[in-house]
Amino acid sequence: MSLPSLVATLVALPAIVGAILILISGTSLRNAVVVVGGLLVAATAVATMIVFGNGDEVFFGLPGGLEPGQALLAVEIALTAFVVVISLKHRRFMAPILALTQLGITVWLELAGRMPEPDPSRLFWFDRLSLVMVLVVGIIGPLICVNAIGYMRAYHRASPMIQGRRTVFFSLLFAFLAGMFGLVVSNYLPMMLVFWEITTICSFLLIGYTRTEETIGYAFRALNMNLLGGLGFGIAIVLLSGQTDGLDLARVTHGPAGAALLPAIALLAFAGITKSAQMPFSSWLIGAMYAPSPTSALLHSSTMVKAGVFLLLRLSPAMSGSTVGYLVAFVGLLTFLFVSLVAVTEQNTKKVLAYSTIGSLGLIVGCAGIGTPELAWAGVMIIIFHALAKGLLFLVVGTIENRLYTKNMENFDALMSLMPRISTLFLVGIAGMFVAPFGIVIAKWTAIRAFLLVPGAAGAAMVLILAFGSSLTIFYWGKLLIKVLSARKVTAYERSIESRVSRYEWSTEIAMAIGVIGVAAFVGLISDRLVGPYALFAFSAAPRTFLALDPATLAVLMAAMLFLPLVALWVWRHPVYDHADFYAGGRSTSPGHVMGAALGGIKKVTLRNYYLDGVLDGPLVFRVGTLACGGILVAMVTVGMVVRP
Amino acid sequence: MTPAIYGLLFLGLAPVFGGLVAGVDRRVSARMQGRVGPPLLQPFYDVGKLLQKQSRQLNPIMEPMLVGHLIFMAATGALLLGGTDLIFTTFVFALAALLLALAAGSANSPYSFTGAERELVVLLAAEPFFILMMAAVCKVTGANTFEAVLASSQLVAVQLPGVLLAFLLVATIKLRKSPFDISISHHPHQELVSGLTSDMSGRLLAYVELAHWYETALLCAFMVLLFNWSVALGLAAFGVAYALEILLDNSTSRIKWQLVLRSTWVATLVFSGGNVLALFVLGR
Repeated sequence: MSLPSLVATLVALPAIVGAILILISGTSLRNAVVVVGGLLVAATAVATMIVFGNGDEVFFGLPGGLEPGQALLAVEIALTAFVVVISLKHRRFMAPILALTQLGITVWLELAGRMPEPDPSRLFWFDRLSLVMVLVVGIIGPLICVNAIGYMRAYHRASPMIQGRRTVFFSLLFAFLAGMFGLVVSNYLPMMLVFWEITTICSFLLIGYTRTEETIGYAFRALNMNLLGGLGFGIAIVLLSGQTDGLDLARVTHGPAGAALLPAIALLAFAGITKSAQMPFSSWLIGAMYAPSPTSALLHSSTMVKAGVFLLLRLSPAMSGSTVGYLVAFVGLLTFLFVSLVAVTEQNTKKVLAYSTIGSLGLIVGCAGIGTPELAWAGVMIIIFHALAKGLLFLVVGTIENRLYTKNMENFDALMSLMPRISTLFLVGIAGMFVAPFGIVIAKWTAIRAFLLVPGAAGAAMVLILAFGSSLTIFYWGKLLIKVLSARKVTAYERSIESRVSRYEWSTEIAMAIGVIGVAAFVGLISDRLVGPYALFAFSAAPRTFLALDPATLAVLMAAMLFLPLVALWVWRHPVYDHADFYAGGRSTSPGHVMGAALGGIKKVTLRNYYLDGVLDGPLVFRVGTLACGGILVAMVTVGMVVRP
Repeated sequence: MTPAIYGLLFLGLAPVFGGLVAGVDRRVSARMQGRVGPPLLQPFYDVGKLLQKQSRQLNPIMEPMLVGHLIFMAATGALLLGGTDLIFTTFVFALAALLLALAAGSANSPYSFTGAERELVVLLAAEPFFILMMAAVCKVTGANTFEAVLASSQLVAVQLPGVLLAFLLVATIKLRKSPFDISISHHPHQELVSGLTSDMSGRLLAYVELAHWYETALLCAFMVLLFNWSVALGLAAFGVAYALEILLDNSTSRIKWQLVLRSTWVATLVFSGGNVLALFVLGR
C-alpha cells in the first residue's frame, strides 16, 4: 500500500472499530473486536513506518484525489452542536459560548469568502516527527485499549455503583486514537483544528465516564480549558487566512517566523500549552485522575497532552530565537519546577504520576520554545520515553488499585511482598522515568548543556530551574520506591491477590515493559536514524551527532536501567524473608511490625513518608505557579500580537 | 596516560585514600575531644572485621541494593576521571546515593525508615548544588570533561567563589558531618543510634563504609575541578576544607531536617545561583 492510503487507513480504521464497538453489547464479542481492532491499528502503524522508510517528508492529499470541501465545516458544526446540547443538559454555559464563538469564526470565514482553498496535494504532512507520533499512538494506544478490558471488568466489580457504560467507553478509546492519528498527519490547519476538537471532546467524555458530580465537574473543566485553547487555534487560523500559504503548517513553520506570522504562532503556542496541561491550565489534567486508569494512561502517554507538545515541536523552528519562544520556554520550565514541588507533597500515586507528566511535558515545552536542533532532539526523545514509561506506570497503578483498593502511596507498603511480579513491572516503569540515565535523564542532560549556551540571565534561570526541578523528581520517586521495595510477611490470601490479575493486563503491561527496556537498549539507533535526522531537517541544520556514548558510559547506563527490575526479579525468585527482629531502641519487637510501647502494652508500627510538611505547602505552590505561568502566558500572547521586531 | 586509566586507578586507589582520610579524621577528632584516638589504619581494620561477621537482613533486597550503591558510587568516580561528561556524572552520583536510601527504607523498620527518609531529604538538599556546580565549571572553562578542565588555563575557583562557598556547605552533607548528619552519623559523640544503618550489620555495613570512602575521594576530585591548576593544589584545598569540616563537626550539634533543606537550598540559590547568574550576564 502507498503512504497516502496507509495514512488514510490509520485515521479511518480506529474510527470504524469505534463505530462497530458502539453497536456491540455482548462482552466476549466486544473483547474480541477490541483485541483484533487493536492489532490491526498497530499493524497499520508499523506498516506506515516500513513504507515511509527513511524519507525526510512527504506531502499528499486524500486518496483518489478527493477534496475535503465542506466536510470539515459539517464535522465542526456537529461537534459544536454536541458540546452545546450536553453542556446545556448539565447547565454549564462556558463551553457552549466558547464552542459557538469558534464555530462563528469558521462560518464567518467561509461566508466572507476569506477561507482560501487548500492545496489538495498538501493536505497531509508526513515526516519523521509524524512517524514518531504515529508509532507512539499506534502501538501504545492499542495496548492500553486491550489492557482496559481487564481493568474495566475489575473496576466495575470493585465499584458496582458506577453508571458508565463500557460500550461507549471502548468506542471512545478508538475514536480518540482516530482523532490523534488525524492530528499528527495534518498539514492543512483547519483540518488539524477539527481533529484537535475531536480529541478534546473524546477526553471530555472519558473523564466524565463515572458521571458523578465530581467527575462531571472535572470533565467540564477539561472541556472549557481545551475549548479555550481551540479558540486560540481558531483565531490563529483567521490571522493566517489572509496570507499566502498561511494555512499550510509546513510552510508557516519552515523557519524563524517573521513579524506577519508571529501573532498566529503565539496563538497556536497558546493552544499547545492548554492541551499539554501546562500551568495555568494544569488543573484539568489533575482532575482527569478521577477517571478510570486506562483513560489516564491514554491521556498521559499517547494522546491528548502529547498533541499539545507535538504542535509546539512543530512550531519550534518558527519560535526559535524570538521573545515569544523564550516566554513559551519559561512557561514550560517553570511548570516543570512548580509541579515537581507540588508532587513532593502529594500522597495519591495517580496524582504524583500526573504531576510528573506535567513536569516532563514542561521540559518538552521548554525545549520546543527555545528551538535549537539539540533541544528539539531532546523534546522528541522525552516524548518517546515518557509515552512508554508513563503508559506502563498508569496501567500498573490501575491494576494495583483494583486489587488493593487504594491509590494512596502509603498503602503500597510491602508491594514487593504482596505482588512481586507487578512490582517488577512497576520498577521498570519508574526506572524508565528517572532512575535510568537513559531517556528522560539523557534529555535533561542535553537540555542543561544547551541552556549553557543561552545568553544572559535567561540561560542562568533555565539552568537553575532544571537543577532544582530534577532533584525534586528524585525525591518523590524515591519515596514511592521505598514503599514498593519494603517487605513484610504476607498471608496466603495476600499472596493470592496477584493471581487474580487478568491476562489482558499481564500481556499488555509486559509488552510495555519490554518496550521501555527495548527503547533504552536501542537509544543510539533511535537517535541516529529517526530523531537526529528529524531535528537536523526541521532546523535545516548542519549534520552533527546528538548522542555520543562511549562503551563505559553505555555499560553503566544499561546497568542502571536494569538494576532495580533485576534485583526485584531476583528477590522474587529468592523470597527469603529473615524474621530478625528490627532494631527499636532496645524495646521488644516481633516480625509482624509490633513493638513494646514505652508504658507497657504493644504497639503496631506504621511508617509514613515525609511530605515536607511545614516546609512546602502544595496547594499554595500550585496557586503561585498558576499565577506566575499565567502572567508569562499573557505576556507571551501580548508580545506575539503587539510587538513588531 | 589516557583518561580511561585514571578511571581504573580511581577504582583501585579511591578506597585507600578514603580510608586514610577517615583514619586521619578519627585521630584529629579524638585530639579535639582530648582523646588519643585509634590507630591511623583503624577504618581498614574495622571494615576487614565487618566483612568477616555474620550479617542479618530484614529484607533480602538490602544486600543487592547496597552492592549497587557501592558499584554506582565507584562508577561515578571512574566515569568522572575516565572522561565522561561532568554534568552526566552528577546523575549517576544521585542514583548511587538514592540506592543507599532505598536499601535502608526497604528494611521497613522505624529507625531505618526514618534514616532513609532523612537521607532522601539530604539528597534533595544537595543534588541541585552538584548539577549547578558542574554546569558552572563547564560554563567557565568551556570544557565538559575532567581532563579538559584540568588542561584549562583558567583557575576555576577564582571565577566561582560563590560555588566554592556553597560547596563547603554541601560537602558537609556528603561527608556526614554535623550539623547536617541527620540521617547517619559516623561519630560516637553525635548520637547513639545512626538511623540509616541501624538495621545493617556485617558485610552490609562494610559496603556502606567502602562506598563512603569512594564518595570521599569523589568529593576530593570535585575539589580538584575547582582548583584545576594542579592536582596538588586541589588536594591541598581538599585538606584545608576537610580540616574545617572536622572543626565544624566537633563544634556543632545536628539540626532538624527542615533547617538542613532550607539552609542548603538558600545557600545553593544565593551563592551558586548568584555566581552562575553573574557568569551568564557577564557573557562568560
